This record gives sequence, structure tokens and C-alpha cells, in this order.
Amino acid sequence: MAQRVLVCDDAIFMRTMISDILSGAGYDVVGEAETGLQAIERYRSLRPDLVTMDIVMPDMGGIDAVREIVKEDANAKILMCSAMGQQALVVEAIQAGAKDFVVKPFQPSRVLEAVQRVLG
Amino acid sequence: MDVGRYADLFVSESREQLTAFNHLLLAWERDPRLAEPVDGLFRAVHSLKGMAATMGYGGVAELAHRAENLLDVLRRSAAPVTAPQLELLFRSADALERGVEGAAAGKPDDPAATALTVELDAEVARMEPAAQGPRRASRPSMPVVLPGTGPGKGPLVRVVLNGDAALKGARALLVLRRVEALGAVQAVVPATAAFEGDEFDGRFSFRLDTTAPAAQIEAAVRAAGEVERVEVAEEAAAAETRGRHIRVDLRRLDDLMNLIGELVLARGRLAVLSRRFAEPDLDDVTRAIERLSGALQHEIIRARMVPVWQVFDRFPRMVRDLARQMGREVAFRVEGKEIELDRAILDEIAEPLMHLLRNAVDHGIEPPEERATRGKPAVGQLVLAAVRERSSVAISVRDDGRGIDRAAVLRRSRELGLGGGVEGIEQVGDELLFHLIAQAGFTTAEHVTDVSGRGVGIDAVLTAVRALGGSVELRSEVDRGTTFTLRLPATLAIVRALLARVGRETYAVPLAHVAEAVDPRHGEVQQVDGRETLVLRGRAIPLVRLRELLGVTDGEAPSGRQPIIVLEIGERRSGVVVDAVLGHQEIVVKPVQLPRGAPPVFSGATILGDGAPALILDASGLI
Repeated sequence: MAQRVLVCDDAIFMRTMISDILSGAGYDVVGEAETGLQAIERYRSLRPDLVTMDIVMPDMGGIDAVREIVKEDANAKILMCSAMGQQALVVEAIQAGAKDFVVKPFQPSRVLEAVQRVLG
Repeated sequence: MDVGRYADLFVSESREQLTAFNHLLLAWERDPRLAEPVDGLFRAVHSLKGMAATMGYGGVAELAHRAENLLDVLRRSAAPVTAPQLELLFRSADALERGVEGAAAGKPDDPAATALTVELDAEVARMEPAAQGPRRASRPSMPVVLPGTGPGKGPLVRVVLNGDAALKGARALLVLRRVEALGAVQAVVPATAAFEGDEFDGRFSFRLDTTAPAAQIEAAVRAAGEVERVEVAEEAAAAETRGRHIRVDLRRLDDLMNLIGELVLARGRLAVLSRRFAEPDLDDVTRAIERLSGALQHEIIRARMVPVWQVFDRFPRMVRDLARQMGREVAFRVEGKEIELDRAILDEIAEPLMHLLRNAVDHGIEPPEERATRGKPAVGQLVLAAVRERSSVAISVRDDGRGIDRAAVLRRSRELGLGGGVEGIEQVGDELLFHLIAQAGFTTAEHVTDVSGRGVGIDAVLTAVRALGGSVELRSEVDRGTTFTLRLPATLAIVRALLARVGRETYAVPLAHVAEAVDPRHGEVQQVDGRETLVLRGRAIPLVRLRELLGVTDGEAPSGRQPIIVLEIGERRSGVVVDAVLGHQEIVVKPVQLPRGAPPVFSGATILGDGAPALILDASGLI
């Protein structure tokens, strides 16, 4: 069975792109979220195998969302999506429990490598 | 347990700890917000305390204990360390150093140290309420150990991330997360706090307290992604390396060097005999002895080599104190710390280097206001650099200060009745400038200061370096700064030398600078421009009569024609008139302390095969 992914990003462009990369590689994108709060909500209802999480999102940022999700599911597998120059934020996300990160602009191969590392 | 025999070890180890302590204090002073130095400081003083207590040196142990208390409070405090606290710690370092030396020498405890313990306690008491607050948020969650200073447990893992990996610090953190599954991560270098900065270059190391095999550790590291290289060094191997080092009294190495020098001489005589008897078996043995003694000589020379940091490490603290005292702002940098020199040479140049550094801070680098008016940054740059150059090592002291005032040097030279024949400062190139300031008794300091007014001038530097067979070069530019470069032999070499007699003494001239030895025929020695000159194959070579130069009056008065040794450095030549040439032989060059005012023509001394000492003539001083 294909592994199920939740894609969280406030930009439709980014969500579409990530979804295409993952679908093309045989993953099943089961849901999308535009804000941190939505991400938490969808995680609860969907229980995906993997979450891709943008750092900067409205109402609740990606890092706080990671914290909440990990609090509820210590085994949650979250891949951070970051822009260059956000090192401190990525470090914070990892300390909060994120398992890996990819840096925009995305190269499909790097995204897939990271996904594979996270899913082990 | 009789601990007396550990006193030497105690002193040398304590010195190392105190050097590390001083270094960390300097780093902390540069950036008081840093969280890392305090751990290293705590460790150094803690280890000193343990050693001193074991030795029964109560005064030192007590002082170390109080300093440790203050450091403990400081490392739990949220506030950055203050200047008075650093000053207190600097003074503690000094008192500990005096205490260590004093205790080992059997002296009673220093009352000043007792006063210091009171000050340390007072500071701890003042800090204590603040220390009850929340722990410093920015402190990394993992213990931090500087390279080579921390034990830590388990294998040492070194990781290099891909050069093009994005956000290397975050990636490094992922590596640590991955390996944490195998055991506790300790001694991360650089500190994890550095992972959040952009300067982190993707190279880091840590100890992993685990029994997992190296392959498993490597796999865990690689699983984090973007890993270019992983090295896992087993703890056992590290321990073994440590165990292979022993401390040896330098005098033993000196004795060994002397013995080998004699062996080399005996080897030479054996070779002569072997040729005389033309016996194949004797030939074989002679060759074997030549090869073995050559290898032995090479090994002992290597055993005497030590990295220059063993002496250089004491300079940052000295420069800092000086700069404070003189009201200068100085950024001091040491380069080439790992370059190796013979221990004896390194010891001998410590004093000259200290002098040059002192000069640079006192006379070279201007006060900040003055630098500002000249459009220079307020902070002066001072660099001490060691560079390997084929068989020699060049050590330079470079400042970006005001440069040497040629007019003042010339004026002062004339006052002293030196510098005759120099018309104007435009004639004073770097070489002549050096010649002028290197004259005994030369100083332009208008008033004697505690810093540079010790009556030791550049002449002392030159004398010390010459005695080691080295040379000194000066480059100075107004407003741009001054550089002194000392060129030294890397090893106390065994060289071939021509032996010559003057009066009753024998002198050695390294063959490297001997072009030839001639018995002048009638008419070859002439007066040219009022100077005695050897005209050899159409070339005029100025002569130096060693007998006159050295003021030798004893021995047989030379009659008739005396032999001349022709010295050559580059294009320059000079002829040295001696009483007799005795032949050549291998000699072990040893530094020699000459009385001040002695003619600057000796580069060292040696012991001849018959046990008699001989001075080694310095070709550069005779040309």
C-alpha cells in the first residue's frame, strides 16, 4: 500500500508542486493544509505516514504545529520545508521533533531522498 | 604514598592546565556572551585542584577550589561574565601559577593567595542569589569540550558534510539526533550553539558513548543525509596513543645528542682506518656503523622536535596584559603553531620573541586615538607566525603600527657616535636600519618604561638568534608597520666544518660557506683602497685577520704566509686569515651564550673529538 502524505503549505503553488513530486514517485497525497492549525487538525483525522511542513504559515507557524503534533504522536514523521537562510528556525524545528528538512527551491530528487530518509 | 617524585609532573601538568585556563579566559574576554569557555575553565581549575590536593599543596588546592566555585556560579548564571569577574579570574590564574611553582619549590603559601580566596568568596556570595534563577536558555543542551581537551567516553566520530549541503548546521543536528539512538553524545565540537550560525562549515566531531560497532555508527551518521565523510576512531586506539607518550627530561636528550656527536666523530675515524687497511670485513662493519649511526642521529633529532605552540601559547596572555598596560587595542594572532623546532632552539628564542612582541605593542602599535587620526582601525593587528622553509623555520612578528622612525634612529646613532658615513635618511634601507638598531646599547625610547626599558635591545635578539645559527631580517614602513623575521635552523644540526687554528684555539667554519682554502703566493695579497685584499684569479677579496679581530696574542707568532679561508655567501666573498688549517670533520652545533660586546662572528660552539671546545665562525658575520 502506498504511504500516505499530508502536505502543509500556505501557497497553492508549493502544495501542488510537492504533491506532484510525491505522487509521481508513488506516494499517496491524502490531504493538504494551509495553516498550522489546519495541519494539526488534518493530522488528527488522517494519521498520515508523513507530513511535509512549511515553516512560515498563517495563524500557527510550522514549528508550533510540529510541537503539537509530536506531543500527540511521538512517532510522527515530519519533513520541514524551508527557505535558505532559515537555519535557526530549522534547528528549532528539529529540536521540536522534525525528522528532516528540504530547502526551497525544491529539487525533486532531494525531496524524495529526504522523504525516504524520514520514512526509513 | 610518597608523592615527592611526582612534583615535576605536577608542575608541568599544572602549567598546561593554566595555559589552557588563560586561553579560555582570553576567549571569554573577547566575547563575554560565549557559553563555552566556562566549562573548559571549570574543568581546568577542577583538575588542578585535584592534583594539588593529591600532592598535599593545600594553598593551591584551596585557591583552585574557590575559583572553581566562582566558575560554577558563573556557568549557572544567565548574565554574561563581567570585566571585574574576568579580572579576578585572571589574577587567580596568576596566583595559581605562582602557587604551583612555589609549592613545588617547597615555599610556604603566598599570603596574597589567601586574600584572593576572600575576594573569590565575596564574588560568589554576591552572585549566588542571581544564580538561583532559571538556567541560561541559550546554553547548548549537550556538554561541550574543546578539541583535545576533553576526555569524553566512547569513540570519537568526525563528520564532514557535503560541501553543497544546505543549512549545514541543521543537518549536523540531524546527525546528532540519529546517533543519539546508539548512545549519549558528548564533547561536540564545535559547540551545538554554532550550528545555528551561518559560519558553520559542515565539519564537526563528537564522542558517542556506545558499544555499537563503527560500521553501525557510520550508517547512523549517513542516514541523516548529505554526509560526505565519516571517521570513527575507536576509544581504545586513542588511549593507546596517549600511553605511547612519555615525558623526558631535556637534559637526557642533550646528553644523547652529545653522545651521538661523539659517535659520529668515532665513525669518521673508523672510516679513515677502514680505508687504510682495505679489509673487506672491516669495510662491511664500517658501512653498517655509518648507516646505523646515521639513522640514530636522525631519530634523536626528531625526538627533540616540538611544536612551537609549546612556547607560543604563553604569548596571547602576555600581549593582552601589555596592551592593557600600554592603553593599546591589539588583536593578536598566532599562525603556524604546529611547526616543529628543536626544543633547545625553541627555548632560546622565547625571550627574543617576547622582546619583539613587547616592542610591537609598546613602540609599534599606536594608541587608538592616534590610529584614528591616521585613518587606521582602532584595533592594531599583531601576528606571530611560524613558517617552514626547507631546512629552516622562519618566525615573524608583524605589526601594522607606525613603523620605525628612520630619522630618529639616525639621530640617535649619531649621538652614540655610530652610524658614521650615513648622509641622510633616504640612504637608510631596511638592511642598514636593522644594522643601526641592532647595535649594542641602542634605544630610541625617550624614557625607560617597565615594558621596553629593560636594557634588552634588538642587539640581544640578534645575538641570541646568531648563537643558534640563525639570522634576523627587518622590514619597516612608515604608518604601515614593522616585521621582524627570525630564520632559524629547524634542528640542532650536525654539519661538516673546516677546522682552523688561531693562537692556541681551534675554530670551526661550516663547509657550507667555505669556497676554498688557499696558501697565498707572493703578490696575491695586496693593499686595495687601504684594505688588505686577496687577489685571486683576477677577483679582489677583502681579508679579515682573525688574530686581530679576536685580539689573539698567544700561541706562536705566525711567520711567513698564513693560509686564507675564502668564505662565500651568494655573490659576496671574504677571506679569513688564520694561523693554520687543520682539516675538516663533522661537528655537532650547539648554541652558545656569548658575552655582550663579543664580536658578532660566532654562530655556536662544538666539542671536538679530543673533548676540547671550539667556537663556530658565522660566515655571515665575517663577510
